[in-house]
Amino acid sequence: MIPRRAALERLSLLLGGALSPQITASLSGQVLNAGPNVAVTPEQTALLAEVAEVIIPTTDTPGAKAAGVEAFIIRVLRDCHELAEQESFYAGLAKIEAAGRQAHGKAFAELAPDQKIALIRSTAEKDKAFFKRLREFVVTGYFISEIGATQALEYLPVPGRFEGDVPMQPGQKAWAISK
Amino acid sequence: MPNLNIEAKKAHTYDAIVVGSGVSGGWAAKELTEKGLRVLMLERGRQLDHVAGYDYAMKNPWETKYHGKLTLEQKETHPKLARDYPYNETTETYWMKDVDSLYEEKKRFDWYRPNIVGGKSIMWGRQCYRLSDLDFEANAKEGVAIDWPIRYRDIEPWYAYVEKFVGISGEALGLPQLPDSDFLPPMDMFFVEKEVRKRIEKNFPGRHLTIGRVANLSAAKEAQLGVGRGPCQYRNRCAMGCPFGAYFSTQSATLPAAAKTGKLTLRPDSVVREIVFDPATQKATGVRVRDAVTLEDIEYFAPVVFVCASAIASTALLMNSKSDRFPNGLGNDSGELGHNLMDHHFRAGASGVWEGDLDRYFYGRRANGIYMPRYRNVGDDKRDYLRGFGYQGGGGRQGWERNVAELSFGAELKEELTEPGPWTMGLGGFGETLPYHENRMWLDPEKRDKWGLPLVIFDAEFRDNEKKMRVDMMEDAREMLETAGLKNVQVVNGESYPGTAIHEMGTARMGRDPKTSVLNGNNQVHAVKNVFVTDGACMTSASCVNPSLTYMALTARAVDFAVAEMKKGNL
Repeated sequence: MIPRRAALERLSLLLGGALSPQITASLSGQVLNAGPNVAVTPEQTALLAEVAEVIIPTTDTPGAKAAGVEAFIIRVLRDCHELAEQESFYAGLAKIEAAGRQAHGKAFAELAPDQKIALIRSTAEKDKAFFKRLREFVVTGYFISEIGATQALEYLPVPGRFEGDVPMQPGQKAWAISK
Repeated sequence: MPNLNIEAKKAHTYDAIVVGSGVSGGWAAKELTEKGLRVLMLERGRQLDHVAGYDYAMKNPWETKYHGKLTLEQKETHPKLARDYPYNETTETYWMKDVDSLYEEKKRFDWYRPNIVGGKSIMWGRQCYRLSDLDFEANAKEGVAIDWPIRYRDIEPWYAYVEKFVGISGEALGLPQLPDSDFLPPMDMFFVEKEVRKRIEKNFPGRHLTIGRVANLSAAKEAQLGVGRGPCQYRNRCAMGCPFGAYFSTQSATLPAAAKTGKLTLRPDSVVREIVFDPATQKATGVRVRDAVTLEDIEYFAPVVFVCASAIASTALLMNSKSDRFPNGLGNDSGELGHNLMDHHFRAGASGVWEGDLDRYFYGRRANGIYMPRYRNVGDDKRDYLRGFGYQGGGGRQGWERNVAELSFGAELKEELTEPGPWTMGLGGFGETLPYHENRMWLDPEKRDKWGLPLVIFDAEFRDNEKKMRVDMMEDAREMLETAGLKNVQVVNGESYPGTAIHEMGTARMGRDPKTSVLNGNNQVHAVKNVFVTDGACMTSASCVNPSLTYMALTARAVDFAVAEMKKGNL
């Protein structure tokens, strides 16, 4: 008997790619309870955008903040996750802010880039479950955003043909929709 | 009908009634109208206009709210549908809400019920395969259940007939166990699939890896262009509805063909409650309908009724059509109605990673996978179980959704995910399930849904034969992929429940003997000659191939028979 998560990941390979979110969501068997929501403050929203930008930063293409990833994350958390999961997520976020203030006496947004990176690295090491969820949200929110899909990746709304074996072109980016 | 005057009855009278507008109902309506009959097609779901009704079909990824995640509200309103993937944001409005689609499970059964004109022909997987005599003869040869009343030669011309209209892309292999269709050009295979194919052909004689046979137009011919369809654009967004009419659905194909005759009346929001039986003539006189919205009851009349509501719904309709002559459901002299419930079992197989060849990529999104025809218990091969399985699946290069190193983030993570991932390939078996008398559905004697229909109760499970087969489905896939050179090959034997493959079959089976079957070899109810059932309910065994093409062929064949019988005055 393989653990459920492992089985799901294997199933995803079977389908020729990573697990699509609807499969994980629908097979993970969360308890059904549409309870109250965390009232997200403008400060939390801003902090989320700053943290997301560290995970997917602006490079030669705009990053998570420009893509507005925080709005996607807040929406998904609010509508798809129970109150306890929302609270645990925003508590994780608050810990990052608190750690920054403790170490540097400043808000996360005001830290130097390397200080932000160090804080996120430490969070990733100490709080793996939170980091994994945060990163999954940011990655998904970014690559499905208009900026992520059309600038970081190559977006083909209507390919018009299929060829299963073509040479990679110089500078070829991954397709925004991979299958 | 004391309250209905003659004129009103006349207005409610047609030459034929078709119950359901999915793959089978669409074909029944097309064939009946093209033969000159005035047809009333009744669909319990809402109207879904071709193209204009496909809300998500042209949306960009950033225009979806949750990227496929289900909301808590969706999970609450769809506790059963939310257990698996076909229900999501993009197809939300195509499925019945669980709160409307009440049913009971003695054991888990996933019943996916559409709520639209076109039925599941909108969301279907579009894989099309012919059955062969390996399938039609299996029950008789093995002493399982009852014999099919037909053989391949009986259905072969009807496969060819429907295929010319549907348009099926695929590759001819000349295999007796999987006869070729009348194909449109095959779709291309991914680099990794071509590599694996070469190695399987070399190392496993008798096993063939081919491109899936799919009802998407790789090239549009006159038969398809004539009803307004166009070629596949390789968007792979089929389940949302195709604005190009590139895959076969009721809306893209059979409905425009039927409408063109000027003889079709389509009535959505029409829950058919009962087939009305006249003991004087021993025939059906028509159907009783409850309007899904107004809850008004209406009766329609016709000299012939085609029941194409899907296996479960058609069976429930027959069961709910009780009379002194048929106290256990219309045509149920045999007691087999509701028994022999089948679905394919799946989600057992393997997948792996192809190392290297990262200088190769692909273009477009193929709305199709690969197929490996059944090779187990074929010819000299003998296993410790009956029947066999085919593989579906395929390859590709992974995208940004793939797993990355646990602690990775920042510019490095972004850079990594903007590049294509490794080539991967997976094979997942679709296995035949035997027709067990004990696997069944019936109606709750008391509980009713909001249209006053009795709830369906399911009690079905996969048994020892299927469980043994799944070991092969998993181990054969592992062996082939490893031999083909894939690395990190992982096997899966996942959860598979009856209903999940959405290939429900067998609950009003065909047979020669009215004592052991509901339908004869022409899909005609043995004891009610003007009622035909041509959807999955009619299947005497399941084969391991996707069944829709067979429903199409059987429907066209049954209509041909029915109209000939009408002309002879036999109905």
